[in-house]
Amino acid sequence: MAKQQKKLYALMGRKKYGFNLPLTETIRIGKRKYKIILKEDNKYGTYVLWKNRRYPVEIVMSRQNKFDILFNYVCYSFTVETPFSLKRKQYLDREKGQPEEERILAPMPGKVIEVMVREGDELNRGEPLLILEAMKMQNEINCPVNGIVKSVNVAAEENVVKDDVMLEIRISQ
Amino acid sequence: MKIKNILIANRGEIAVRVMKTARRMGIKTTVIKTASEPAAMYLSLGDNVYDDTENVSEIPVFLDIERIIKIALDSGADSIHPGYGFLAENPYFAQKCADNKIIFIGPSPDSIYKMGNKIIARKIAMAKNIPMTVGSEGKIPTENEAIRVARRIGYPVIIKAASGGGGRGMRIVNREEDMPKMFRMASNEADKTFSDHSVFIEKYIENPKHIEFQVLGDRKGNIIHLWERECSVQRKHQKLLEEAPSLALNDDLRKEMGEVSVKIASAVGYFSAGTVEFLFDAEGAYYFMEMNTRIQVEHPVTELITGIDLIEEQIRIAEGQELRYKQKDIKLNGWAIECRINAEDVQSGFSPSPGKIEQILMPSGENIRVDTGVQAGSVIAANFDSMIAKLIIYGKDRKDALASCKQALDKVWIKGTKTTLPFFRMLIRNSRFLDGSITTSFIENELSTYHVNSEYEEMLAAWLATWLFVDENLDESNLKIDFEEAKNMSPWLLNKRIIRH
Repeated sequence: MAKQQKKLYALMGRKKYGFNLPLTETIRIGKRKYKIILKEDNKYGTYVLWKNRRYPVEIVMSRQNKFDILFNYVCYSFTVETPFSLKRKQYLDREKGQPEEERILAPMPGKVIEVMVREGDELNRGEPLLILEAMKMQNEINCPVNGIVKSVNVAAEENVVKDDVMLEIRISQ
Repeated sequence: MKIKNILIANRGEIAVRVMKTARRMGIKTTVIKTASEPAAMYLSLGDNVYDDTENVSEIPVFLDIERIIKIALDSGADSIHPGYGFLAENPYFAQKCADNKIIFIGPSPDSIYKMGNKIIARKIAMAKNIPMTVGSEGKIPTENEAIRVARRIGYPVIIKAASGGGGRGMRIVNREEDMPKMFRMASNEADKTFSDHSVFIEKYIENPKHIEFQVLGDRKGNIIHLWERECSVQRKHQKLLEEAPSLALNDDLRKEMGEVSVKIASAVGYFSAGTVEFLFDAEGAYYFMEMNTRIQVEHPVTELITGIDLIEEQIRIAEGQELRYKQKDIKLNGWAIECRINAEDVQSGFSPSPGKIEQILMPSGENIRVDTGVQAGSVIAANFDSMIAKLIIYGKDRKDALASCKQALDKVWIKGTKTTLPFFRMLIRNSRFLDGSITTSFIENELSTYHVNSEYEEMLAAWLATWLFVDENLDESNLKIDFEEAKNMSPWLLNKRIIRH
């Protein structure tokens, strides 16, 4: 195998950040290098020190090469790929094309107050699907895509737990 | 009658808030320990703790009129402060207190009832020639009547529950063909939520500002106002940030709306602290919306610009004392901003994000006030509201307050749940917010993301993800699989691996 710089990529949506291996604790911005320090103590928990400021961090989820990271209270979802797995991923994404279905999962435990759609309804992105009550607040769950309701798995007054599949939408092209 | 012992019929930050003033006034407090929050922060501030953890009733104690009265009598409290929410605006509860010779620290049952029923409140305001949106004269009994009224006032209209308020039980109707369905939905919802199916119709004001006036009245009929609060930063009628005063009002309008607020409060013989809410349209016209007959979450911004402790005034008024301020004594000094830091995930549409607060470190300083009911170790439970803390900033003017607010937001340290902080960090940099031109539809209609976007922070998060990946695959041979050996894997195995992901 040809000798090449070992590298890892962190991907989020269309964004790609490349890091050379071995991973150093510095990041270069323009001509300057800045040190990143990951620390943990009793007072602050886990945090990153960067340019004399302390940023709270939390690992929300870590599964194989997928990481959800709460950095300064904003959640970032990255997948980390090697140059090889990145190529493979890009190839498979092209082959697979767009997903055909969107599953609407319960974002948290709660009670369904109202379901506004029925099987076969044609919906546009942003249209209300149902109202879920949790923590005394009624939250409208809106349709994330343009599509047709394939199945409705919940009814008013029903309780759901986190990640229950409430509805399935067949995505229109 | 001098108040000596207040039963706090509430929890969280408002329980703490009321007790701070009570303590300063030398009044004892009794708090209720519940099974769902046996280690809550507010318990540590009460002089007496009533243990209600054995209560197995399905109704939370703070909503249980009989039980609260019994606790007050058992614990020797001479008065009850209801805080906000729960029983704060329940006229039967206020009456029940009076029947048992307990002082209800709030307005009369009659005022609560009249302002709580939006149809009655409208009639009262109309009789006093208070500016209001065009609407139905009373409740709307049928779909056909709804259609007839809506034709008269013109679409869009809003259907509201007579017993609703606080943004609940409302439906906007844009077209006549939607009316029958919306009417049925509003009616059913009103019945379910407020046990009263009656609804009424008003002209819907598109893109208004929400401006409210704080009022204070005593039992002798003296009523004053303490200027306005600007509450247009809201999402689905839930306020997120409030400030006082409002950039939208000039001195003449401020004075006029203040006088109108006093007039409305006088119409029901109001005493204690209350809030008169207005919609303010693009043409600068204002319309009376409703009156809230309680202390409000956002009361601290008024306290900071007027220097008056509203809880203290509520207590003094409840004791039967006369107002110690005249309207001319109420000064408006500086600017105050309140950010509601809630346990919510702004990246998934402000969905609640309950959990244990592992650490909370709030900024402090001369111009910073923090009202909170949580400390490290507290749990933001799914069955209560999602409030963690209110960060309240004072400045000599708006520019000064905004600058301090921006700094203070960066100093908040909360670990354990997601919070609304990224929203405020975005908002405080948004030009529309900064110039004061936003309306209540701003968050839902004009923002594409609800959180701050920082290029550097994203890059640092990417580095951290990569660091974790390397850390978890520390064994060099493990890393090699992907780098070198993967090319020897059969495509079938490779596929299977990917599908598993």
